[in-house]
Amino acid sequence: MRNVAIVGGGAAKAGRRAASWRDLAQEAGKSMFEDVENISPKDVDSIFVGAAQPERFSFLSYVAPLVAEYIGVTPRKVIARTELACVSGQAAIRYAWNCVATGMSDIAVAIGVEKMYPPDMAEAQTTMACVLDREWDGVNCFSAPPFFAVTAQRHMYEFGTTEEQMALVSVKNHHYSSLNPIAHLQKEVTVEAVLKSPVVAPPLKLFDCCPMTDGSAGVILVPAEDAKKYTDTPMYLMGSGQYAIGNVINNLASLTEWIPLKLAAKEAWRTAKITKDDVDIAEVHDCFTISEILEYEGLEFCEKGKGGKFIEEGESYIGGKVAVNPSGGIMGCGHPLGATSIYHAIEILKQFRGDVDSGMYVKGATIGIQHSLSGAANQHSLIVYGREPR
Amino acid sequence: MKPVEFEKIKRPEKIGLPFMLDFYPLQDEKNTKISQFFKDLKEGHLTTTKCQKCDKLLWPPRIVCPNCLTSELEWVDLGTQGELYAFTEIRLGAPLGFVQDVPFCIGIVRIGGLLISTRIDNAKYDQLKIGDKLTLKIIELEDGRVFYRFKRP
Repeated sequence: MRNVAIVGGGAAKAGRRAASWRDLAQEAGKSMFEDVENISPKDVDSIFVGAAQPERFSFLSYVAPLVAEYIGVTPRKVIARTELACVSGQAAIRYAWNCVATGMSDIAVAIGVEKMYPPDMAEAQTTMACVLDREWDGVNCFSAPPFFAVTAQRHMYEFGTTEEQMALVSVKNHHYSSLNPIAHLQKEVTVEAVLKSPVVAPPLKLFDCCPMTDGSAGVILVPAEDAKKYTDTPMYLMGSGQYAIGNVINNLASLTEWIPLKLAAKEAWRTAKITKDDVDIAEVHDCFTISEILEYEGLEFCEKGKGGKFIEEGESYIGGKVAVNPSGGIMGCGHPLGATSIYHAIEILKQFRGDVDSGMYVKGATIGIQHSLSGAANQHSLIVYGREPR
Repeated sequence: MKPVEFEKIKRPEKIGLPFMLDFYPLQDEKNTKISQFFKDLKEGHLTTTKCQKCDKLLWPPRIVCPNCLTSELEWVDLGTQGELYAFTEIRLGAPLGFVQDVPFCIGIVRIGGLLISTRIDNAKYDQLKIGDKLTLKIIELEDGRVFYRFKRP
């Protein structure tokens, strides 16, 4: 197996965009290829397109060839769309990585696209509500916000986590996203503003939730030994972990302890030959404030049940124990499902290059992780990136 | 030169809730092999399948045990009394078909060793607490399909 590196990437500005699904794909494709001077679309032999729900949001299926056509790629090794709800983008990176590692591909693109702003919000929510088992949980109106609301309620009940602690996650991530030029939300919020924002599903308020976002982002993967041909600053894929347990709510391992995350993290540290203490930057899936708190615990940055205290003590800020979501996270940058985890990869790449605002720069970072979860938090994926080859 | 023709065309003004946006499953034996579940509901019983080989209680009901792959499953009655494990109230962002009911409570109920999701009727958020006893209730759609809910007594 070959070692693999990401040599560049590009993204569309995330947000409520006056642009169609295919406009977004073209913006990301152009930005990605402009980032890597001596790779042109014709050099790419494989493409993976992360797209969670184009059928519902944009009435499109079979989107991989559509994206390839629009960004000028003629795939001759492997082409596929990857769908894993909110992790569709990371799935694309993982497939591209595998193809380059095995020698099946020499230059592969992982690109994610999602257009989430149709005119009708109830229809968009219907689309989202078929991610959880539609016939057994969706039918009871369990979509993402209520599911994470009951998760938060149980975490508060079992561990004493507070709404103020959850609000602090939102404050931190909106602070960093205010410095990020491609983030969806670029305004700071206060604890008071989070607590007073409209209730979506108690205990979750609007500012406990990530926004609905249009976005697209892509990265280019090559064998590590070729990486310096294309850039002075490649980002090396060092290890990964992925774990899924159950699907319907009854069959989850636990509501308040994300066991699949713990297991995926363990595997990621093992394959990358690092420990959690080596992580400088963690771009994690803060779809809701409670999610980031459970991630501090699942990644074992703190003890189980102490995630609220971890943010309260500022340990997840830059300069704390580990910089969590210095990009602004999903909470601030937005969550265009199929593209989200590719934005993560690009944010870590920009950090390694020192190409970020000084207020969100994690100086001297050498190890970054990206984490994504999907569905009822029953599936977790991690990739470990290094500034140096392993 | 002739001017380019413009014509206004008509499409149906309203489309009813199509099957592909209907949360409730098709229930008769022509459409599912677990139609027994819905027959039982119609008689007031919440049931599920249990594996006759490994004894595992399976939710949702199914036709193959994922534990030992046998199709030898039996239907068991879960009873009518549940205990509230967690709950919330839908206030914003309800999907099509549910918007008219906002606000309403949903939650997870412990019953017969399972933790199943449910609508919670006859309850406002502030009236509920973890551990509350809830009772089974059956709802019937206009086309005769049924589903379970729980309600505050």
